[in-house]
Amino acid sequence: MTSLLAIEWLKLKRYKTCWILISFFIVLLPLWNYCIIEGMINMGAKGVNIFNPSYSFPAVWSNVGFWATLFVVLLSILVIIITTNEFTFRTHRQNVIDGWSRLQFFHAKVLLLIMLSLAATLYVFIVGAIFGYANSGSFNAMFNGTEKVFYFFLFTINYLSFALLAGILIRRSGLSIGMFLLYIFVIKNILTGILNYTSHDWNIGNYLPLQSGSELLPFPLFEMARAMIKQGPQPIASYVIASIAWAIIYYFTCRSILLKRDW
Amino acid sequence: MEPVLSVQNISKNYSQVQALKNVSFDVPVGSVFGILGPNGSGKTTLLGIILDIIVPLGGHYSWFGGMDAVQARRQIGSLLETPNFYHYMSAFDNLGISASIKQHGIDDRIRVLEKTGLLQRKDSKFQTYSLGMKQRLAIAAALLGGPRVLVFDEPTNGLDPSGIAEMRELIRMLNSEGITIIMASHLLDEVEKVCTHVAILKKGELLLHGPVDNVLRSDDILEVKAADMDALQNVLRSMNGINSIQHVNDLLLLKCVAEMKASDINRYCMDKGIVLSHLVLKKKSLETRFMELTN
Repeated sequence: MTSLLAIEWLKLKRYKTCWILISFFIVLLPLWNYCIIEGMINMGAKGVNIFNPSYSFPAVWSNVGFWATLFVVLLSILVIIITTNEFTFRTHRQNVIDGWSRLQFFHAKVLLLIMLSLAATLYVFIVGAIFGYANSGSFNAMFNGTEKVFYFFLFTINYLSFALLAGILIRRSGLSIGMFLLYIFVIKNILTGILNYTSHDWNIGNYLPLQSGSELLPFPLFEMARAMIKQGPQPIASYVIASIAWAIIYYFTCRSILLKRDW
Repeated sequence: MEPVLSVQNISKNYSQVQALKNVSFDVPVGSVFGILGPNGSGKTTLLGIILDIIVPLGGHYSWFGGMDAVQARRQIGSLLETPNFYHYMSAFDNLGISASIKQHGIDDRIRVLEKTGLLQRKDSKFQTYSLGMKQRLAIAAALLGGPRVLVFDEPTNGLDPSGIAEMRELIRMLNSEGITIIMASHLLDEVEKVCTHVAILKKGELLLHGPVDNVLRSDDILEVKAADMDALQNVLRSMNGINSIQHVNDLLLLKCVAEMKASDINRYCMDKGIVLSHLVLKKKSLETRFMELTN
């Protein structure tokens, strides 16, 4: 297992695009949150700001967690690029010819994606802890609401494994990235809307691929509003289960494509 | 001895086209095994299958008498149509990945780069390489860690004449070091010059396979002529070892048994009082033989 990761590391350590995308994630996440806290990024007028600038514990986890999901798109694009690179350079074949099984090739990518998700989650936790401390003055309530950090991990695993599936299915980098963005920004929202509208209280649309993850980290104001109008609690557990189920489905879909298809 | 590779009843379809039909053969240890066939006969598909990058419809293959296929591939060096490397990495780092996957040969990189004349450029990125250098890097990768078997797909494709000669010399040299070589080629001449064994494919069907001398053996033809053609024909009819006599233009074409030499004919005719004015041994060209086999 470590040897698979070590080889993925050899492939990536000199790949500039990879480090540029990761740097963007590292820099933009705290910068964005900082601008929200300072009110430099805001939405509303006359003293009303619907971006909730509350960054003390535990609200900081909802805020940092939600905004971090935006930047997961960068990591998803990275996963698509490194996957489709293998097909473009035909190195997926070379890896197998050199003595990987097809599954080892696949599992190297899966492990990489898990490590990337873990690292991103750890980073979100650190950024959240720092902003929380700066705005609460102490670490006392720090572990309240850290389940949001776990939700962020699930969200990221979902996005990155979906990105891996897109790369393996489509094989071409531009088209895969295009289809991926089209799905998350347009098609997913249309389908969620239609399904939620027609299924009434069941909200089936919330269980669509990637949507179940988003439901775990909603826009902070919606969460507040929901609490204020005393609407029933969100079925968080079912979103967690749905997210895990989707990740497993992506895994087995990729696996079966890679085992059956000619390379 | 166990064959290096045993292929049994391999079939493969691409939608409607049957690319391989029940192909079976063994590759003996130490041979240079040519897979010969015109373009589109299924050679590359066959190589892809034995390296697990193409999934066969049916049949199976085994390396080294049944070794696990993944373990086996680590002892095989391959050079398929195009060199496949990470564009943004140097030759040296690219070989590092191959060696890590093979789990041996990481210390062998300098040797193979030197052997292929790339040592000076070992730290240049792959994308800055010329086509010839890319091909040489692919050879370097194939030689990494001292493979037991080398698989080449059209090894001289796209090379200039001196490159072709070098490549053939390299194949002979590697074979003499004990490496078994499996190569696909559509060039009969190449197979004849380099290979010890051959399998001939046509539209996915294995027509013939075995030692080159058996498969590509061609019947020789003797052309003879004398002043009195009728007398000559009568004399030759009485000679043992001549299978057929054909009168074409003003020549007699003789098909003889393999042991027959031109001098035997000459002596026989002299003894019978006929002086030959023309005696030529014609090897039937291999191309003709190949066309006969594949058409």
